[in-house]
Amino acid sequence: MTQLFINDQEVDVTPGTSILEACRQNDVDVPYFCYHPELSVAANCRMCLVEVEGWGKPAASCCTPVSEGMKVKTQSETLAKDREMMMEYLLIHHPLDCPVCDQGGSCKLQDYTVEHGASKGRYSEPKRAVINYELGPFVNTCMTRCIHCTRCVRFADEVAGTGDIGVLNRSDHMTIAGIVEGALSSELSGNLPDICPVGALLDKPSHDVSRPWEMTSHSSTCIQCPNGCDISIESRGDQVMRIVPVDGSPEPWICDRGRYVYDAFRSDNRILSPMVRQDGALQSVDWSDAFDRTIDLLKDKKVGILFSSQWSVEGHVAISLMRDALFPDAKVAFDLHRRDMRPFAFEEGLAMTTSQIEAADQVVILGSDLRQRLPLLMQRLRKRGRAGKPVSRIGAMNYRTNMEIGRDALIRPRDWHGVIARAMEQVSELGKTAAGFDAWLGAVSDRHEAGKILADALISDSCALLVGEEIRSHEDAASLIHGVDLLMRACGHAEAGNDGRNLIPEGVNAQVLSAVFADARVSAGDIFAAASAGELDALILIGSDPVGDGLFPSAAKAALQKVPLVQIGSISGEMADYADVQLPAAAYSEIEGTFVNMEGRVRVATNPIKSLGQERPLWKVMMRLIQVMGAEVPVVSLDELRSAVCQHLSALSDAWCVSNQDSALIAPNRNRDAAALPKARTDSFELDVVSRYSMYREGMWARASALLTEAGELNALDDVLVHPDTLAAKGLSAGELVVKSFLGEQCFNIGVREDVTPGVLFIAKRGVAGDLSDVTAASIDGGAV
Amino acid sequence: MSADTVRFSEERLAEIAELVKRYPGPQSALMPVLYMAQEDFGYISMDAQKMIAEVLGLRLMQVREVVTFYTMFKEQPTGKYLLEVCTNAGCMLNGAYELADHMCGTLGIRMGETTPDGLFTIAEVECAGACGGAPVVQVNNIYHEKATPASMDALITQVRADGGVE
Repeated sequence: MTQLFINDQEVDVTPGTSILEACRQNDVDVPYFCYHPELSVAANCRMCLVEVEGWGKPAASCCTPVSEGMKVKTQSETLAKDREMMMEYLLIHHPLDCPVCDQGGSCKLQDYTVEHGASKGRYSEPKRAVINYELGPFVNTCMTRCIHCTRCVRFADEVAGTGDIGVLNRSDHMTIAGIVEGALSSELSGNLPDICPVGALLDKPSHDVSRPWEMTSHSSTCIQCPNGCDISIESRGDQVMRIVPVDGSPEPWICDRGRYVYDAFRSDNRILSPMVRQDGALQSVDWSDAFDRTIDLLKDKKVGILFSSQWSVEGHVAISLMRDALFPDAKVAFDLHRRDMRPFAFEEGLAMTTSQIEAADQVVILGSDLRQRLPLLMQRLRKRGRAGKPVSRIGAMNYRTNMEIGRDALIRPRDWHGVIARAMEQVSELGKTAAGFDAWLGAVSDRHEAGKILADALISDSCALLVGEEIRSHEDAASLIHGVDLLMRACGHAEAGNDGRNLIPEGVNAQVLSAVFADARVSAGDIFAAASAGELDALILIGSDPVGDGLFPSAAKAALQKVPLVQIGSISGEMADYADVQLPAAAYSEIEGTFVNMEGRVRVATNPIKSLGQERPLWKVMMRLIQVMGAEVPVVSLDELRSAVCQHLSALSDAWCVSNQDSALIAPNRNRDAAALPKARTDSFELDVVSRYSMYREGMWARASALLTEAGELNALDDVLVHPDTLAAKGLSAGELVVKSFLGEQCFNIGVREDVTPGVLFIAKRGVAGDLSDVTAASIDGGAV
Repeated sequence: MSADTVRFSEERLAEIAELVKRYPGPQSALMPVLYMAQEDFGYISMDAQKMIAEVLGLRLMQVREVVTFYTMFKEQPTGKYLLEVCTNAGCMLNGAYELADHMCGTLGIRMGETTPDGLFTIAEVECAGACGGAPVVQVNNIYHEKATPASMDALITQVRADGGVE
């Protein structure tokens, strides 16, 4: 530790810390603009000057490391004068338009001018004006206000990895400019307005809408991806105005999906009152009429229950209580993305925290579009890449990552068995083996060279495997995961403390769901098949949209046309076409609730905003449903419900004591006995189908958001993509072509892209080519149907 | 010039490959490569910048930042004779602005423009590093120190009389 004195007070800090960081750690206030704890040091604003005893001139504290016995002063008459001059200089070209600037009220320049500036500047010459530039749908620019701190430039370079913002020209012609006209090519672009210390980069959607001091904020958890970031929901009255990251949370950033989904909270797509289908159209009714209709549809009937993982833990347990009370035999499904329901050797959830993944010796991404799925984890991997640590990847598509992937292999989903088998052989040669290798290897005849990448990574001391959707949604997922599990055991990456088996879940709360619904869980496809076969009388959908999302859209459509639908949720979406009754449940901005993210981190949302309409928290809707259906209501308060939660998950019992929120992580399930062996394929289609997850389109919330929809259009690809060789081998060219699968023959607009593995049919736009998501294999024939 | 036509010759590429070896990383070779591009193509268009970024494995923004920082790199085509008038402190005090205005008048163009015959471009630059001879006008790569309206007029007249022959 280095000992130094800040304002005559003795402090100890780690050697190499900068003076500014030492001050921040010890709550000593030093003003700064260009410094940002998550970015590299630029030292160009000169606002953080401090005096060091014995030095002839003031030092920029952000770039001066501490030394033993250093005597630092952060307040003195000279410094006050220096800061006043710096402020005068920074304000030379800055317009005096605070009353019309969105940043006003949360602006560092404004605050420091009051604190350190003179009341008047001496500059009376003409001010310069700078041309604004286009930074996509989320960032507004007013470059005349820019003070050239270059935080945005460093953010684009270091965090977003796009490097598309830079400093052009010099001296008083200097401007910050973007290179990509039309759209900033980052999924993290919404953070730019946050890091801009002045009003140069502003949030476009909330431009000229509200003032910082008019809004109240409450902390919650983002449910838009399994990362479950801490968010602060800022609202005015009962309207959500913005979503911003929370200071001091594990990630300082949030992604555009989690941020700009906020306009869905007040979209026309919300279900704000109970609705009942009358004369072919949904009509708003009161709760008792809606329940009357619900009783008609559900009383003494056989139902299938399908829900989304996005509800709070309390909501999920309430669904389970409802099932136990009303439909004890009903099967439930919550995952629209799993074809293989056999238990996995390691179930959904991460064994490591994201910071442990960042620090691991080796990281291998197995079949996942991480930039779209988990932008914040991708950002961690980028950070890792900058530190010179390797990231390898095996998958069906050369997904864009904005970083350099060390070793990269393109494979078809049917090659996974061969990849794992090849890796098993290679580690066996080094004497690393596990019981079960032989049986697994014996069932696979193919070998694929990409297995070398996996085996080479496994030999390191710590290896984080990020097992993604291409394996999780595979028809033979259980055997693949068993194979990977064996490999990890053989190489010593499966013990507690060194567990690198991370299966990326589809949504939040995955660990909780597999514990609560372990027995009753079936594949969504089974429920739709049962409904279509006449085995079910009705479907209950709680917040999910199986037509717009997931892997069973055509099965879902067939089922929904056959049986009546009771929809319970916050967003109506396309399910409005099918619903006979809609019961409104509160959105995640409107509830007190608990959420568990993919790392097992528990977060409790408190002090929600009040309901926009007649919607009630999901658990209350469930209890009321139990009551009107004539069964005994199991819980009547949130506390009682939480006791019920603890019966399923004792680990959560600490979560609701304020002092203990950061305690234990909830570990994902492990099934040691899940020894599924590889199955041989039976179909004869030559192409494997892989569908793309788009952060701008996936999920009911995203589709209800006009902002995300607009961004999704900018980022859209062709409907269906294949490698040029795939078409060339058949003598076909891109365009309208017939795709044959077990669904029959359908015509799609097929584009070509070198990034797709030859032999893979890549569905880039699930909405358009939605029906193809049902299939895992297909073939292309020429010409129109 | 389109992206396809802005290409370094094979010899140039070999020269660049040799040059890159001298530095710790390819980014360090950017300045000499930009000079080569200006020599080969006359100016450094956006397409040329993209091509250079590709050749050196840099981001386009890294190239653009350097090109726009230095006044010696031209993003637009210039006339055959580039008249660069230094207007930094020393030259300014010795009448650089009056000189520049006079030259613009003689040429019939505004600052930064090129004459219709494509012979002259006049530009304002920062310190040329010859303050002892202020005001300085750099004509292509040759310094004309203690320039006066008369000496510049003479130069322009002579070039015009020669029909631009060097």
